Amino acid sequence: MALFRKSAKDLGIVKERKRGASLQARKARTGWLFVLPFVLGFALIYIPIIYGSLKYSFNEIDILTGGGYELVWVGFGNYMKALGDSAFVETLLTGITGLIIDIPTILLFSLFIAILLNQKMIGRAAFRAIFFIPVLLTTGLIASIDASNTLGDYMGSTGEGIDTGAGASSGAAEIVSATDLQSLFSGMVVGGELATYVTTVVNNIFDIVNRSGVQMLIFLAALQGISPSIYESCQIEGCSAWETFWKITLPMISPMILVNAIYTVIDSFTSENNEVMAYVNAMYNQAGDGNVISSAMAWMYFLIVIVIVAAVAGIVSMFVFYQKKD
Amino acid sequence: MTNQTKVKRESKNRIRVEFDRTPLAERLKGKYVSTYFLGKVVWYIFRLALLIGVCYVILFPFYSKISSSFMSPEDFVDVTVRLIPKYPTLNTYTAIITENGYLKALLNTFILSGSCALIQTFVCSLIGYGFAKFKFKFSKLLFMLVIFTMIVPHGTLQLSMFMEFRYFDILGIMNLLGGGVVDWIRLTENTSFNLINTYWPLWILSATGLAFKNGLYIFMLRQFFTGIPDELEESASVDGAGVLRTFIQIVLPNAIPMMITVFMFSFSWQWTDNFYTDLFYTTSGPTLMPDIVGIPASLATNTAASTMMNTAITNTCGILILVPLILIYIFAQKYIIQGVERSGITG
Repeated sequence: MALFRKSAKDLGIVKERKRGASLQARKARTGWLFVLPFVLGFALIYIPIIYGSLKYSFNEIDILTGGGYELVWVGFGNYMKALGDSAFVETLLTGITGLIIDIPTILLFSLFIAILLNQKMIGRAAFRAIFFIPVLLTTGLIASIDASNTLGDYMGSTGEGIDTGAGASSGAAEIVSATDLQSLFSGMVVGGELATYVTTVVNNIFDIVNRSGVQMLIFLAALQGISPSIYESCQIEGCSAWETFWKITLPMISPMILVNAIYTVIDSFTSENNEVMAYVNAMYNQAGDGNVISSAMAWMYFLIVIVIVAAVAGIVSMFVFYQKKD
Repeated sequence: MTNQTKVKRESKNRIRVEFDRTPLAERLKGKYVSTYFLGKVVWYIFRLALLIGVCYVILFPFYSKISSSFMSPEDFVDVTVRLIPKYPTLNTYTAIITENGYLKALLNTFILSGSCALIQTFVCSLIGYGFAKFKFKFSKLLFMLVIFTMIVPHGTLQLSMFMEFRYFDILGIMNLLGGGVVDWIRLTENTSFNLINTYWPLWILSATGLAFKNGLYIFMLRQFFTGIPDELEESASVDGAGVLRTFIQIVLPNAIPMMITVFMFSFSWQWTDNFYTDLFYTTSGPTLMPDIVGIPASLATNTAASTMMNTAITNTCGILILVPLILIYIFAQKYIIQGVERSGITG
C-alpha cells in the first residue's frame, strides 16, 4: 500500500513537471525558433511581394509625384496585351522548345563527365577544379558581358578576314558546321533533325558546360554514395562494365537524375541568359506600362514552366529506383 | 611443365623456393597484348582527350580575355595578331581603374557581398539545421515553401520587389505612424522607408533566407546536417549544453567545409550579380561592380578596329571584376568540391 502511494506521488510530480512542456513540444518550439527567420521573411516580405506581383499583372500603374503610386484595375488586359505581342509569343515558343532540347543534353553531358571525373586518374583534382569554374565565375554580370563577346571567336578562328568592326566571320568560329554533319548523316537513315541537333549541341558546348556544373557535382556526389561492395559483388558474379553501368550505377543514381532534371528546368528558366527572361527584362525597362505587362508575361511563363516541371517530374519518376523502401 | 619448383632447406627455419619464371617477353606479351589492355588504353586516351577538350572550352575564353586585355590599339588593327599581343600595354587596366572608379566599386562590392554572404551562410545554417533536426508541425509544408522560393524566377517579382523596398513598410506600421491611416497620429515624416540605394534590401532578403538561390543553400545545409549523427548532439546535451550552444560549439565546427561552400557560392554570385544591383541601385547609389563596365573616355577610339577594341575593354572590366573571385577560388576550391561531395545530396 505504501509502495503504491509513493509511486502515485511520483507520478504526480512527473505530471506537474510535464505541465510546462513535454520534451517533444519543447523540441518543436526550438525547431520553430531555428526556422523563424525564414517564416518571418516569407510571411512579411515574400508573400507581399508575390501578392504585389500578381496584383500588378492585373493593373496599370501610375507613380504619383509626391511618393506613392496608384493602381488601375484592368483585369486580364495585361495578359491579353502580352499574348498580342507576337514577338513575345515567338520567344516563348522557342524558349520552351530550347528548354526541352536542353534538359536531356545537360543531363547526359553532366552524367558522362561526372562518371569520367569519378574514375581514378592523374590530375583528377585539377580537372574537377577547372570544371567547377563556370558555376562560380560565369554568372550574372560576366554572362552578360560574354553575351556580346565576339572576340573569343575571332581569336579562335584561323580565317584571314580583316576586321572591319563587325567582328569575326561567323562561319569560321563554329566547331562543326551543319553541312559537314548532314553529309555524314545523309548515308544513314536518320533525318536532318538529328544532324541539326548534334550541331547545335556541339557548337553550344560552352553554354552547356557552363550550365551543367551543379548537376555534375550532384551526380558526382551520387556516384560516390554508391557502396563499393555492390560493385565488388557484381565483379565476383562476372558482370561486365557495361552491365554494371546499366544494372547498378544507373538505378542507384536515378533519384538524382530526377533532382537534376528538375534543377535543370528551374535553373535554365530563372537564369539571366534565358531568352524569355531577357525579353521580359527588356519589357520591364520599357517606358509606359511595360513593367506591368512584364509582370503578366513573367507569370504566364512561370505557369508554363510549372507545367513542364510537373511533366518532367512525372516522366522521370516512373523510372526512378529507390533503394530504401521506407 | 617448366615451372617446377625446387625447395631447398637453408637452415632450420628457412627454406628457399626456386622456380623457373616465365620469360620476360612472354610475361609482357601476356600483360600488354590483349584486347583488355588495348581497350583500357583507348579508353584512357579518349577520356583524357575529352577532358582536356572540355577544359579548353572552359579556359579558352579566359585566356582570350586576358591576352586581349594587354593588347594595344595597334594589335587590333594588325591582322597577324590573334592570340598574343605584339605591343603589350597596361593602358586598358590603368584607364579602367582610374576612370571607371574600380577601387570604389571594389570596396563597395566587397562590403556588400561579404556582409550578404556572411548573413546568408549563418541564416541558412540556422534554417537548414531547424529543418534537419527538429520535427514540428508544418515543417514539411515550410520546406516546400523554401523550395517554392527557389522555383519562382526573380524576374517575375522584380516590379513588386522594387515597390516593396521603395515603399518599405512592415504590416503597415510605418503607414500608421506616419499618418497614412488616421490623421492625428503623425509620429514620423514619411509613410514608408525608401530603401533603394542602401544596402538594406539585400540585407533584409539575406537575413530572411530569401535572397538569390538561398533555397539551394538551405537545401544543401539541411542535407548536410541530416548526415550528422544525433548522438553528437545528445552527448552535448548530456554534458549540459543547451540547444543553441550545441549548435554553435558542436554542429557548426563540423559543418565548416559545407559553410565555406555556401559562403563561396553566395559571395561570388552576389559579386557578379547584376539583377539585384540593377534593381535596387540607381546611378546616384553606391558604385558597384556593374557600374564599372564601360569604355573609359581616354580609350574611346574610332578606328577600324573599334568594335574589337571595345569588346576587349569590356572583357578587361570582366577580368578586373573576376580577379578577387579567382584569388578566393584558388584558396577555397578544395573545400567547395569536398563540401558538395560530403553534403550527401544523395538523399
